[in-house]
Amino acid sequence: MLLFSKRTTTKPLTLFGLVVLVMLGGQSCTKDNTITPNVYEFQKPAHFPEPTYTFNNNELTEAGFKLGKKIFFDPILSRDSSISCGTCHSQATAFADQQLHGISVGIDNRLGIRNALPLFNLAFYKEFFWDGGVTHLDFVPLNAIASPFEMDEDIVVVLQKMRNSGEYTELFEEAFGTSTINTGLLMDALAQYMNRMVSANSKYDQFLDKKVTLTTQEQRGLQLFNANCESCHSGVLFTNQGYHNNGIDVVFPDSGRALISANPADIGKFRVPSLRNIDRTAPYMHSAKFFTLEDVLAHYASGVQSSATLDSRLIQPDGTLGIALSQQEQEDIIAFLKTLTDFEFINDPLFFQE
Amino acid sequence: MKTFNILSCLLAVVVMGFSACDKKEEPTTYGTMDLTFDNRVGEDEVQLVSDSDTAFVYTNAMGQVFNLTKLGYYISRVELKTTDGKVYADEVTTGPMDEDVKGFYHVQEDKINTQIVTIANVPSGQYNEVTFTLGVEAEYVQQGATGGVLDPANGGWLWNWDAGYIGWAMEGRSPSSPKAAGPNNADNSVKLHIGGWKDIAGNSMMVNNVKRITLTFPSSVEVADDLSPRAHIHMDVLKAIDGHHMMDFSTTNGVHNPAAGVDVAHNLEGAFEVHHVHQ
Repeated sequence: MLLFSKRTTTKPLTLFGLVVLVMLGGQSCTKDNTITPNVYEFQKPAHFPEPTYTFNNNELTEAGFKLGKKIFFDPILSRDSSISCGTCHSQATAFADQQLHGISVGIDNRLGIRNALPLFNLAFYKEFFWDGGVTHLDFVPLNAIASPFEMDEDIVVVLQKMRNSGEYTELFEEAFGTSTINTGLLMDALAQYMNRMVSANSKYDQFLDKKVTLTTQEQRGLQLFNANCESCHSGVLFTNQGYHNNGIDVVFPDSGRALISANPADIGKFRVPSLRNIDRTAPYMHSAKFFTLEDVLAHYASGVQSSATLDSRLIQPDGTLGIALSQQEQEDIIAFLKTLTDFEFINDPLFFQE
Repeated sequence: MKTFNILSCLLAVVVMGFSACDKKEEPTTYGTMDLTFDNRVGEDEVQLVSDSDTAFVYTNAMGQVFNLTKLGYYISRVELKTTDGKVYADEVTTGPMDEDVKGFYHVQEDKINTQIVTIANVPSGQYNEVTFTLGVEAEYVQQGATGGVLDPANGGWLWNWDAGYIGWAMEGRSPSSPKAAGPNNADNSVKLHIGGWKDIAGNSMMVNNVKRITLTFPSSVEVADDLSPRAHIHMDVLKAIDGHHMMDFSTTNGVHNPAAGVDVAHNLEGAFEVHHVHQ
C-alpha cells in the first residue's frame, strides 16, 4: 500500500525540481539530486507490526498534520481556554505529563484520577487509556475535552469557538477540502498529528539494526529483561496490550479494566504500558505511585502486594511475591530500560508547537 | 470516504453484466418504502413530559408507576425482503462528514421527523419482511470519527469512556426509584442506556447488546416506481422493561454500562412489531 511505502510521490518532486532549477538560474550547473522524504507520510518502521489505525479513512497529509498540531496546542478546547492537549502531554517527556505531576492537573487546578499516558506509536495500539475503554484513536480526545477534571468543555461549544475564531476555516479547507468544521474532521486532524508520533529510533532500535552496541551492563539488563519482564512488556512495542494487576495496591478505589469489562476478575488490572521512553515518563503506574525507575524495580523485587487478582507471574513457586532480582540486577535492568529513550523523537522539531 | 458497498458494486457489475446478455428482461424500476416508528407504552401513545412533572401515567408489570422524559434508539443496516426471498440492503456508510453517514437512523420521540425512515432505491416487488440492527455494530464503531446522526455534537448518543453508541435509551421518573437528585439526575430518576458492542472471546461479561431484529409484515406490500408503501412499526416500552426480565425501578434505575444493560437488550429483541402496513 502506498500509505506505508517509503517512496515519495514523484509529481510534486518534479515540480519542486523545476522550481529549484529556476531559482538556481544560471548560478550553477550542478544540482543536488537528494530526494527529501515526505516527513508527513506515515511510515511503519521495518521492525514494527502492521498498524491498527484505519488509515484508509484518514490518510496522513501535511495539511492535516499541521491542523492537528495547531488543535493539539490550542487551549480553545477547554472551557476557560486554559488547557490544551499539550498541557498534560509534553514532547520532552515523550508526550506524557511533566514529571512533577503525578495525577494530571486539569481545569481550575482540578486533579484527575490517573497519570496521563505518553503519546507515541498509537497507530499500533488496539485500545487506549489505562482501562482500554476506547478502541479507536479518533475517539480518544473526546474524553479529555468532556472530562470535568481535564478540559470540561462541550464539543458543541468547542466547534463553535473554532468556527468563530476565524483561524481555522482556511486550515480545514487545506486539510480536508471543506470549510466545514465538525467533530469528525476535528478528530481526524488530531489523529493525524498523533499517528505521526512514531518512536522507533532509540539506542535499542539502533542496536537491533546493528548500528551500535550495548554496554556490558545494558546487555546484562536485556538478558534479565527478557527473562523477567518480557512476557507482559513484550515485542517491539514493549507491551502485550493486555491488562494485569502488578501488585501495587491491596484495594482498588479505581477498579481499572473492570470498569470496561464489568468482570470482577479484572478489578485492579490496568493496561501494560509500553516501556519505550520510560526514562522520560516518570512518575509510573496509573496512580503515579512511583517517581523513579529504582522505585519501580524495587517494587517488583520486594514490594508486590497480594490481592485476589494479582497476576500469577508475580507469585513465585514457593509463594513468595514478586520477581527475585538482586540490587545489581535491578540496576542492570534500569540500564537497559534507558536504552529505550528515543532522543530523536523527543527532540523532533516536526512536533514543535508553532 | 468510508464505504461498505464494494460488494454491492461488484454485485451490480455482475448483474449488469448478466442483463447485458439478456436483453429480453424488463428494466428494474425502483420505489421507496417508509418505516414509521411509533413508540408506545402498552396500549398508550408515548407522551414525554418534563423532569418536574409529577404525574406518573404509566405502570410497569410490577405495579410501579412512571413517566418518560426521553426515549429513542438507533436503527441501522435495514434490509427488506420480498415474498420470493430477494433481499434489498439499504446502503450503509460512515465518515467524518454528515453526508458520509448513510443507513443510520436516530429515532427520537421528541423529534417527529426522525420517526419516519424512508428507504430509497428499493427494487419494485412484493415485500413482507424487514430486518434491522438496533444500535451500531462493531464494524462501524471501529471506523472512528463519524458525522451525521452519529456525531456527538449533533445529538449523537456516543459513550466516550467506553467508546461506542447507546443503541436504545429511556429516561423518566418513578416514585419507586430511590435515586436522589444530583447534577445529572432529577429526583426518582430512571435512566436506562443500553449500549455495548464488543464480543470478546473468554469474557462473557463484555457484552454485545447490539441486536439484529427481523419483523414480518401482517400482509405483503408492493413497491414500484409509483407505489410507496409504509410499514407501521410499534416499539413497546413495556416489552422492553417487562419482557423476559422484569425491571424493578427500585433497584434498576441507572443503567450506564454494557453489562448492566444485558437484560433490557434481551427484552428489546421482542419489543418491536410491524403493527400494520399501508399500501
